Amino acid sequence: MGAAPQQISPDQRVADFRKIFSRAESEVARVIVGHREVVRKLLTALFCGGHILIEGVPGLGKTLMVKAASETLGLSFKRIQFTPDLMPSDIIGTQVLTEAEGHREFQFKEGPIFAHMVLGDEINRATPKTQSAVLEAMEEHQVTVFGTTYVLEPPYIVLATQNPIELEGTYPLPEAQMDRFIFKVVMGSPKPDELREILSRTTGVAQNKIQPLFEPARAPEAIENLKALVREVMVAEPLERYIISVIGGCTPGGPGAIPEVSQYLRFGPSPRGAQALILCSKVNALLAGRVSVGYEDIDDAIVPCLRHRLLLNFQAEAESVSAESILEQVIKRLKKPRT
Amino acid sequence: MANPVETIGSASARIARLAAIRVVLCAIAPALTAIALGLLLEPIGEVTWEQYGYSLAPERADRLSLALVGAGVVVLLIGLVMALRAYRRAHDFVAAAAELDERLECNQEIMTLATLVDPSSPDAGRARRTPLFPVLWRRAIALFGGMDIRQEFKLEVGEPLKRSSILVGVVALAMVLATLGLVRAPTPENREAAKLRAIAEEIAKTGGSDDDKALADTIREAADALENPKLPAEEKMKRLEDAMRQANRAAEKRNNSESGKNQAAGKSSAQGGKGSGKSSGQGNSSGTGSGQGKSESGSGQAMSGNNAGSGKGGGGNNSGKNPNGNSSAKNSQNNQGKPDEQNIKLQDELAKAEAQVETANPQNPSPDSKPGDDKSQGGGANKPGDKSDENSGSRLDPNKAGNIPKAGANGDRNMPSAGGNPQNNRDMGSNLGDTHLGEMPTSTNAQRFLKPGEKGTKVDIKDARYVMFRLPGAPSSGSGGKTVLDTDRPTATTAYVNAPLAPTSDDAPPDERQLVPPRYRDMIH
Repeated sequence: MGAAPQQISPDQRVADFRKIFSRAESEVARVIVGHREVVRKLLTALFCGGHILIEGVPGLGKTLMVKAASETLGLSFKRIQFTPDLMPSDIIGTQVLTEAEGHREFQFKEGPIFAHMVLGDEINRATPKTQSAVLEAMEEHQVTVFGTTYVLEPPYIVLATQNPIELEGTYPLPEAQMDRFIFKVVMGSPKPDELREILSRTTGVAQNKIQPLFEPARAPEAIENLKALVREVMVAEPLERYIISVIGGCTPGGPGAIPEVSQYLRFGPSPRGAQALILCSKVNALLAGRVSVGYEDIDDAIVPCLRHRLLLNFQAEAESVSAESILEQVIKRLKKPRT
Repeated sequence: MANPVETIGSASARIARLAAIRVVLCAIAPALTAIALGLLLEPIGEVTWEQYGYSLAPERADRLSLALVGAGVVVLLIGLVMALRAYRRAHDFVAAAAELDERLECNQEIMTLATLVDPSSPDAGRARRTPLFPVLWRRAIALFGGMDIRQEFKLEVGEPLKRSSILVGVVALAMVLATLGLVRAPTPENREAAKLRAIAEEIAKTGGSDDDKALADTIREAADALENPKLPAEEKMKRLEDAMRQANRAAEKRNNSESGKNQAAGKSSAQGGKGSGKSSGQGNSSGTGSGQGKSESGSGQAMSGNNAGSGKGGGGNNSGKNPNGNSSAKNSQNNQGKPDEQNIKLQDELAKAEAQVETANPQNPSPDSKPGDDKSQGGGANKPGDKSDENSGSRLDPNKAGNIPKAGANGDRNMPSAGGNPQNNRDMGSNLGDTHLGEMPTSTNAQRFLKPGEKGTKVDIKDARYVMFRLPGAPSSGSGGKTVLDTDRPTATTAYVNAPLAPTSDDAPPDERQLVPPRYRDMIH
């Protein structure tokens, strides 16, 4: 596992991907009760090379989940608690004057953003200036401090959380920044039996230990290989056209836009949405044991990939129309091309 | 091991062929229906005529028939063109792969493979291949294992035919509507022609001889000629007379063959004929009344004396009117049996047809019906007031149309004398056929009531069924409100209207004799 792709047959690589993914899910599930879909999306985002926005109230185990995932995959993990007084340098890092061998010099002190997996807790509480510092790192996989650019070591994934309550004094993420997250997943409250399991696991003597899938030294390479495999999954031209039609159908005034889209949306998804759709569909196909994407894979990816990219208008909010319901209508009405 | 490219290619060809066949099947049913209906329109018209007494307007029916056949051919051609288009459209490598995908439920794997190995764009496909392509290829081989394209894509005839049935229904409905639009009540010529054809059929069936068949053919030709609007009246008459002559010959032949049996009856008939008018029947003649005699000319025109014709011979047939000759005629008829009845019926119908032709062409009367023309044998039915029977001279056949004596000044001259009683002119139920030929002579224009002012101012309105009159206006009053007598009141201009053909005054029942109330009598002038 984790060997160079040239040495392993394609069939073996596909089998390994499924196996690693499945084991990662199982390991995280040892410490996180329920939220299987969120864990799956987290891992999918990791293998797609994207970032994930998790929306949920405090105390649901978001931090624990990310920590468990990083531990499972053998990746480094850091957590940033966003507050209104948090400065960009607190995240990115800053130049610190140090004295060594009789002379003083500025040395770059890395911030918490330098890790494989970064959890930005309650990202909407930070000021836009600080948010944008994180978002630049997310997109470019690099940070620039005093003219010097520092590359973030791959794999790099940011998991930001948003608290949907206590919105006073918060800075909701601008649409442009929301677009940079591949998924937005919503964590709901655990079910009663899940809650009982949580209680028994966390308040008892027994502690569940996670078995890492990779050694920390080899983990980044192994994960990158798996990310490369995802990009090798093939997509037929008609399916690409279908993805384009989905994006057009969700854009007000776009080609094939359904009436609900024109009625309730201000803006539709950007091309990043289409990229996210394809990458997510590819992971879905691999998880199904296929090396080519099917319509089913795309349909499964549409809601998590696009729901945070649709900007609802006032009428939609007044009528409690959700982005999810509009996307479901789009899926129902769009024809799937055959040629 | 099946090559996936070959499998997809053969599936594509199969799908294309099936698409073309389906389109052809969709088009062929309505096309054939239209053509069949177009070709069967004439028989359908005959059926409507025979069953319901309505015929289709022949010219328009021909046009409709042509239009239906043309529409059928056009639909067939369009179907072929569409089939070609469907074949070209369905002959798509990737689309066939998508179809296979659906059947094998393999989540667009075959379609993806097809886009990567599409023979129409090999370079583009090759560029899109990734290191995982062999996996896809092997999976496709596994999926196609043991797959029979012919079994997988079967020709289903039911669905396209079901779909085309809607179009068939539309064609049939259009045809029915058009037919209903073309249906018209038959003309008198049509009716006569139909009757003649029916008789011809009967003759052809009952009589087995060549003469009978020839007669039936002649009758049919005459019927066709009668219906043909393009044929001049003279030609129609000629055909009808030919048929008449042939019918007479056939009758004579039959009579001669049965003369031995009917000799006594013939004598009896002749005796009966003797009593009628001036004709003198011969002893060995048949009971049909063929005889010789002299004809008196009507209206003072010179007529040949020794002519064969219904006018003279009619004495024999009309003997039914004469109580003295009635029995002999009946005997003769009974002896001859069905063929004679047929013959009489035929001659009757032929005469009617001739009458119809003459009626339809009053401006061009047949030369045969010219006064004093001896060839006049058929003669058209006499129209009301027509006195042509006075000039027709002697005739051979008493059963012909138009030989009915008409009421009129000289009508009684052509009537066989039958004891001098006018009541004897009525048909007393002779079985010699409808001697009146359905053309009951109408009386001359006799007015039973005087016109206003015809004989003085007083009008006798006795026995009138009803009387219409105009009431005078109310007396106008003066400005002071005093009633004054209006001497200039308007008088009625329409005094009364008689109902035509009111019963005679003597025979009318009392309730018909509606009297005008006394208070209105002075108002009628």
